[in-house]
Amino acid sequence: MVAVKQDSRLMAHLLRRAGFGATPDELDQALQKGYDATLEDLLNPIGDDDVPEDLIRRYHVDQSDLRGSPAASAHWVYRMVTTEAPLREKMCLFWHRIFATGATKLIQARVVTNQIDMFRQHGMGNFSDILLRVSRDPAMLMWLDNQDNHKGSINENYGREILELFSMGVGNYTEEDIKECSRAFTGWRVVNPDYMSIKMRNNTARPYGYIAWQFEYDDDDHDHGQKTFLGETGDLNGEDAVDIICKQEATARFIARHLYHFFVADEYPVPQWPHTAPVDPHAIDVMTKAYFDSGYSIKEMLRATFTSDFFKSEASRFARTKSPAEMVVGTMRLAGGIELPSDDTYLGARTCANMGQGLMAPPSVEGWQGGGDWINTGTYVARVNFASKILHDASRPGLRSVIDRVQQSTSGSAHSPESLVGACLEVLGPIEVADGTRSSLIEYARTHGDLSQTAGSAFDAAVISLIQMIVSTQEYQMV
Amino acid sequence: MTTTAFKLNYLTNVGFCADFGGRGFMMPTAMAIRSDGRIFVASRSNTTALRVVGIQMVSRDHDYYGQIGERGTGDGQMIWPTALALDGNDNLYLADESLNRISRFDPDGNFVASWGTTGRGPGEIDGPSGLLFDRDDNLLVVDHKNNRVQRFTKDGASLSTFGSQGDGDGEFNLPWGVAQDGDGNLYVADWRNDRIQKFTSDGRFLAKYGESGDGEGQFNRPAGLAVGSDGNIYVADWGNQRLQVLDPDGRFLTTVRGDADLNPWALEYLHAQADEERARSSYVPVFDVDTDDPSEVSARIEPFFWDPVAVAMDGSDRVYVLETCRHRFQVYEQA
Repeated sequence: MVAVKQDSRLMAHLLRRAGFGATPDELDQALQKGYDATLEDLLNPIGDDDVPEDLIRRYHVDQSDLRGSPAASAHWVYRMVTTEAPLREKMCLFWHRIFATGATKLIQARVVTNQIDMFRQHGMGNFSDILLRVSRDPAMLMWLDNQDNHKGSINENYGREILELFSMGVGNYTEEDIKECSRAFTGWRVVNPDYMSIKMRNNTARPYGYIAWQFEYDDDDHDHGQKTFLGETGDLNGEDAVDIICKQEATARFIARHLYHFFVADEYPVPQWPHTAPVDPHAIDVMTKAYFDSGYSIKEMLRATFTSDFFKSEASRFARTKSPAEMVVGTMRLAGGIELPSDDTYLGARTCANMGQGLMAPPSVEGWQGGGDWINTGTYVARVNFASKILHDASRPGLRSVIDRVQQSTSGSAHSPESLVGACLEVLGPIEVADGTRSSLIEYARTHGDLSQTAGSAFDAAVISLIQMIVSTQEYQMV
Repeated sequence: MTTTAFKLNYLTNVGFCADFGGRGFMMPTAMAIRSDGRIFVASRSNTTALRVVGIQMVSRDHDYYGQIGERGTGDGQMIWPTALALDGNDNLYLADESLNRISRFDPDGNFVASWGTTGRGPGEIDGPSGLLFDRDDNLLVVDHKNNRVQRFTKDGASLSTFGSQGDGDGEFNLPWGVAQDGDGNLYVADWRNDRIQKFTSDGRFLAKYGESGDGEGQFNRPAGLAVGSDGNIYVADWGNQRLQVLDPDGRFLTTVRGDADLNPWALEYLHAQADEERARSSYVPVFDVDTDDPSEVSARIEPFFWDPVAVAMDGSDRVYVLETCRHRFQVYEQA
C-alpha cells in the first residue's frame, strides 16, 4: 500500500515538473504505464497538437495576425492548456525564459510567436542546432539590433548576449571574445532591414498592418577577416561561433544550471552564478556529462535529470515556486473544457502578466529570475483570485470529475471534514501541507456543517469552496 | 472556336490600418456595396483598439465618409460584426455573432431596429455569419453554429429554413458567407466542408463544388463569395489566402494571390513620415519566402491577400476582395 502511494506521489511530481500537473484521470493513466514509459512519452511526443487554428482565427480575428501581445499570449495559453505534449510546451517556456525576447520592443508579437514555435519544434533537440536557429531568428536579431551589426561597424549586442545570457555566462570569456563573436555575426539580419527597422522603432502598423520578418544573410556586409574567438582562429562566421561555443564546458554547465532551476529546485538568481556554486553541484555534473556524452542533446539532459535520484528524492518535491504560467495553465487544465470562442485564454494571459510573467513580454533580455521573485502580496492576491475564478463552475468537465471523485472517496466516512480535506488534497496533487494548514482546512470544511446527507449542488458548492481555500495556501504555490 | 483565358486585372485597393482612428479599417470582416457606389465595411478590431469597431463608409475612389455605430451592446452598437447586407430600400443590415442579433440602419446611417433570439429552435439564431436579401427582399441569414440558412422578413419573422449538420448534400459544417446569382439561386460557403454548395432560391440542393486542398478547384475554409452577372463564382478562399474563381458550372477558372500597391491614403501617410518614406525606397515587397504556411507568407508579403474574408461585386462586375489582416479591400476587373 505504501509503495503504491509512493509511486503515485512520485508520478504526480514528474507530471507537475515535466508538464503542468495531472488531472486525477491523467495520473491514473500514467500510473498504469509506469514512470519510465511515461517519461519516454513525455520526451518523444508524437506529431503536433491538433490546434483548431481555423476556429480560433475565425472567432478571434486578432489571433489571425497575432500582432498584439494580448492575442499572441492568449494563443499560447490555449496551446499550453490543451496540449497533449506538456513537456514540449514546458520547454517552450524554458527557452523563452533564456532567449527572452520581448514583443514590447518589436511591436509585433507574431515574430515572437514564430520563435516560440521554433522552440516547440526543436527545443528538445541538439543545443548547437537550437543556438544556430536562435541566431537566425528574425525576432531575436531585431531584438538585439543585429541588423545594425555591419562589416567595419559592429554592434555588440548579440555577440555579447549570446555569450553572457544564452550559453556560457559571465566570467567565461573576454571582451575581445565579444568583439570577435560580433564580427562573426555581421551580415545576419532580416529581409528589408531598413524599412522593418523603422516600422519597429516608430511603432507603426501603417499603412497595411504589420509585416512579419524573414532571416537574410548578406555576405557583402559580412566581415570575412581573421578572428580569434575562445582560442580558435579563422575566417569565422556565425555557424563557427555557435560550434565553438557549444564545445565549451561552461556552456554545458550554464544550460544545466538553468535546467536545474526550471525542473528540479529553485536556484540562485543568474546574476549570482559567477560567484555562487550551484545548489546541487552533483546534479550539474550529471547533466553536463549527459550533454557531452550525447553530442549536446537537450533530450538526453532531460532524461538524465528525470531518471536521477536528485530529481526523484523527497527533497525535490515542491521545492520550486510555481511560475505564473504554471499556476495559470495548471489551474485551467484542472478545470478542463476550453470551448471556442474563449475569453478564458485572454484572462489567463492577462493574469500571467498580473502575476509578473507577461508572456512574450519579459522585463529585459535577462528574462524572469523566477523563484522567490514570483511571490509578493500583489501577485499572491492575483494567484488566489484567478484560481477562485476558474475553479468555481461545477459543470466544467475537469472540476466535475474532481468533485465526483471526492464524493466517491468520502462517502464511506459520511463526507467528514477530515476525509473531505484529505480527498481534496489527494485529488488536487496529491498536495502535502503542513499540519497547521491541514487543521485550518478541516476547521473551514466544518463550517459547511453536516454533509453526510448532502448531494447535488450543495455538495458541489462545499467541495468547490474547499478547493478554492486549498489553492490559496502557501503550499499550493509550490510545485 | 477560340476561348480567351479568364483573367482579372488589379485596379486599386482601398483601406488603411486605423488602429488609432481616422480613415481606414481595423480587422474588417464584412462589406456591402450600395447602388450609388457607397461601400460599407464592418471593422471587428482587436481587444484594444476599440473606437474603430463599427461600420466605415468609403468609395472606390478613396473617399472616406465616416463611421456608423460603435462598440457596445446597446442600440446601433456591436461586439463582433460579421456580415452586412442592403435591402431594396438601401437600408443597411448588420449581423453580430456575439450578440446574436441583426441590426437595421437607414440610408443615412441612423439606427432603426434590431432583432434576434439566441437558440437552436425555429427562428432562433446562433452565430449569424452571412446576410443576403433574396429577390423577394427577404433576409437570408447563415446561422452557422446551427448549420443552417434561415429566411426572415426584414423585421425578423421566421419564414423558412434549410440545412443541417453534416457533409452530405445540403448539409453544412459551420457555413459562413452566402451569395445569389441572376436566377435567384443561392450559393453558400460551406466553410469546414471546404466547398461551395448551390441551392434553388427556396433552398433545394442543386450542386456542390470543391474539396479540401490548395490546388485548382480545391478550397481551404472558403469564407465569403459573390456571383457575377456572367454567373462566375468568386470565392474568398480564406485558408488558402487567395481569391478563386469558378465558372457557372463550378469549373476552375483562376486564382489570385493579391497585388496591392500603395493607395492614396498610404501615400499621403508616407509623405508625412519622412523616415519611413525614405526607408521604404529600398523596400522590396515581394521576395522568396522560406515558409510553406500560406498565412505566414501573407504576413510577410504586403501585396498578398491576408485572410480574404468577403467578396462583393459592383454594378459593373468589378470584384472587391476584403482582407481582414491588411485592413483593406482590393479591386479587380475582368480583362
